Amino acid sequence: MQRYWDSPVSWGHAGIFLLGALAVLAVVILFVTYAIYFERKVIGWMQFRQGPNRTGPLGLLQTVADVAKLLLKEDTIPAKADKALFILAPALAFMPSFLVLAIIPYGLHLQFADLNVGFLYYIALSGITTIAIVIAGWASNNKYALLGGMRSAAQMISYEVPLVMSVVGVAMMAGSLNLRDIVLHQAGYFWHWNFIPQIVGFAVFVVAAVSELNRTPFDLPEAESELVAGYHVEYSGFRFAFFMLSEYIYVYAIACLGTILFLGGWNPPFPQLDFIPGLIWFALKFACIVFFLFWIRATLPRLRVDQLMGLAWKVLLPLAIANIFLTALGIEWFGKGG
Amino acid sequence: MLNFNIDFTGEFFAFFLLAVCAIVGAVLAVNFTKVVHMALSLAFTFVSLAGLYVVLQAEFVAFVQVLLYVGAVTILMIFGIMMTKHQSEGQERGRPLLETLAAIGCLCLFGILFYAIRSAGFAKPDVPLPDNNTLSIGKLLYSTYAIPFELVSVLLTVAFIGAVALAKREEDQP
Repeated sequence: MQRYWDSPVSWGHAGIFLLGALAVLAVVILFVTYAIYFERKVIGWMQFRQGPNRTGPLGLLQTVADVAKLLLKEDTIPAKADKALFILAPALAFMPSFLVLAIIPYGLHLQFADLNVGFLYYIALSGITTIAIVIAGWASNNKYALLGGMRSAAQMISYEVPLVMSVVGVAMMAGSLNLRDIVLHQAGYFWHWNFIPQIVGFAVFVVAAVSELNRTPFDLPEAESELVAGYHVEYSGFRFAFFMLSEYIYVYAIACLGTILFLGGWNPPFPQLDFIPGLIWFALKFACIVFFLFWIRATLPRLRVDQLMGLAWKVLLPLAIANIFLTALGIEWFGKGG
Repeated sequence: MLNFNIDFTGEFFAFFLLAVCAIVGAVLAVNFTKVVHMALSLAFTFVSLAGLYVVLQAEFVAFVQVLLYVGAVTILMIFGIMMTKHQSEGQERGRPLLETLAAIGCLCLFGILFYAIRSAGFAKPDVPLPDNNTLSIGKLLYSTYAIPFELVSVLLTVAFIGAVALAKREEDQP
């Protein structure tokens, strides 16, 4: 990026940036389309039913049809809503979710921005989506939406703390917050990947990440049985589609981050296997994490509100801090990467 | 004094866009009537300022700014506003004398700042800036400035415990 920084701006550079962004958008939309399809299929199989199988061969076009329906739907805005904010909120939720994808390194040379504070960038921008959710709940002028928005903000702020703390151990071992350096640090056999020396951090990261994504068992902001649908009760049509899209893009981003921080990124499990391109290893690990998210959604019941906050502050945070101390001791006694 | 020599680099465009965004956010924050709108435009200013830090290659400061001011402070403000009443406040009567004085004061401040910035010389540091500035910030913070850092963390812990104690006392006597 630096080389575009100091040179005069031309249409060519702008075109390169535009093409890059469009390519990522295309990949992400493809991912979201088929993540929704596989989520419904996987949960269907786990619950001993078929899942979508009518639209297109094997139901492959089901999500396409759903999206088309959302786009053609009438766009309603409640009469007493705060119109400007009601319209702004879905866009505000989507923008940061797409921006966080800029720093993800898929391979050694396949990355848009090589930022030296990569992880911090993700955490900082995902906070903006929280604002958008609260604003959506408030602007709808509906008590269920407001409650959902409030819950969501409280939950996302509480779980951000253990999420950041759990990654501190990884940053200490790699000596950097740069995502590429973190992956390079994990080169070698699969026991060099961070999920074994940082097993406590990994566990805290997974729980906090599922909660950050507002997915079952932590989907209290959208608890259908108590809140109708949460902060997007009043939304329909393509505004609703935008909220869903940003939610699934965060699934994509968190799965990428989990792969990079704890599962060795594009490194193969054995150095002998490095004739297979790194992108394939990355995709395999990524798919495992996404499948894991679907799996727990299909099998675990939802938590109660009071238990949710207790879990973040009384269990995950002390565990994450203990993990930082243990990592510091380990580095002191055995040297880096011990 | 007024020699503006500009070459149209990416940095120039980024600076101008972000500076305009920061100013627009600040002006809107003063002019909106609904408190939630004000908080949001303030958040917009914070984000633009973070962008300016990125232009200055201070990524760490930039994203900590977004994390704390946008992610925490603004959400706290919005939370507080939502808990209070929903209707917008009535317009206050204008006070012409006060407004004129304020305008003169603002113009003077702008003049002083503009003169100071245009006449100041920014000497280049002797040693070249480090490549990875986040790493050097961390090293300085935990070696040279370790004691101030620890003092600040003690201060924060005291404030934290104090807040919990105050909240607890209110809970005890309903």
